[in-house]
Amino acid sequence: MSELVAKGVVKTYGHKNVLQDVDLTLEAGKIYGLIGRNGAGKTTLLSILTSQNPASAGSVTFDGQPVWENPQVLRHLCFSRELNQMTGNNANAMKIKEYLRIAATFFPYWDSEMEKRLVREFDLDVKKKISKLSKGMLSMVTIIVAFCSKAEFTFLDEPVAGLDVVARERFYELLVEEYTETGRTFVVSTHIIEEAAEVLEEVIILDQGKILLKENTQDLLERSVHISGHEDDVNKAAAGLHICREEHMGRSKGVAVLLEKGQQVPESADITIQRMTLQKIFVALCGEEHGHDR
Amino acid sequence: MNEILTQQKSIYIQIREMIENDILRDILLEEERVPSTNELAKLYAINPATAAKGVNLLVDEEILYKKRGIGMFVAKGAKRRIMEQRKEHFYDDYVKKLLAEAGSLGITKKELITMIEQSRED
Repeated sequence: MSELVAKGVVKTYGHKNVLQDVDLTLEAGKIYGLIGRNGAGKTTLLSILTSQNPASAGSVTFDGQPVWENPQVLRHLCFSRELNQMTGNNANAMKIKEYLRIAATFFPYWDSEMEKRLVREFDLDVKKKISKLSKGMLSMVTIIVAFCSKAEFTFLDEPVAGLDVVARERFYELLVEEYTETGRTFVVSTHIIEEAAEVLEEVIILDQGKILLKENTQDLLERSVHISGHEDDVNKAAAGLHICREEHMGRSKGVAVLLEKGQQVPESADITIQRMTLQKIFVALCGEEHGHDR
Repeated sequence: MNEILTQQKSIYIQIREMIENDILRDILLEEERVPSTNELAKLYAINPATAAKGVNLLVDEEILYKKRGIGMFVAKGAKRRIMEQRKEHFYDDYVKKLLAEAGSLGITKKELITMIEQSRED
């Protein structure tokens, strides 16, 4: 089984440390979610993992082979970047058809049958220029490149950002379909966390250039609880637990807690114990009070 | 006041309960094939590992059984077993909560029993 491993990856732009000593191992056959706030370093990390951007320090290897400018490795990797009407090495002047033709020559395992099917499904006019596309259509083109590349490790940066809710749901259906049929590894970054939560086997949280957490999504959801009630009761129940975030209103208090192995919140009629969504967990870990005062 | 709206149950538990409900409602019959974890994953757009976790609970409890290379089937007596299990959990799942809420509202046991008897007459 293949493995993509980043060790001690650092990226600096001038005086700004965008990535700080990132260690990350991605195993084959999983769908990973990469979440983080704006500026956390997600796109930089994805571009370094796929040799589109050199690291300032550290290494990235695929099955022990360095990734950097290594065609033997890069044939197995696809990073489908966010497309933009204005930028992208003159891609903006290209028609969709031309853009996809270039992608097809770039990725050795390109699936042109799938390309036709997805172009039809998304109802794209391939004669249209990239510069004339709506945000949704730009997202569709990046999704087509990602799926049709058939690369063993495929990285999608904000694939659903421009899509409407129906298309977003369809994207996740397609993702699960492709995954169950091929077992390819996908790494998906998104800000629309809740919609992705059930699809992701593991979630990677990047905060201010560091990996804050990498964990099985269901395990994380199961050990995250929200306790609320009278301040005194909540304090008692949460004593000794890892509190990530607190909210107050009068005598009422709510805390987000990450339980460690073997820990439990004592049940009581005085407090409400609720499960948290991945989005709430993310905000508790990376929200204003925490992420930026540390 | 600080409560949050959340999906209150794990997805794999919900997968398990959906299959159980289908068996109770005769939508899935005994000795019939149930959807594979990949089929469930595609249907609900969830990770296949999560679907498998729910299905495997049912295999462990002998509600479902695996036929090698063919798929997953509803076991004989599955419906009866699910009903028995749910009866066992009825006190924890429903009665305990009923008593707790009644307690915090000052409803006595006697009043509760009267309510139940009256509702039966309806």
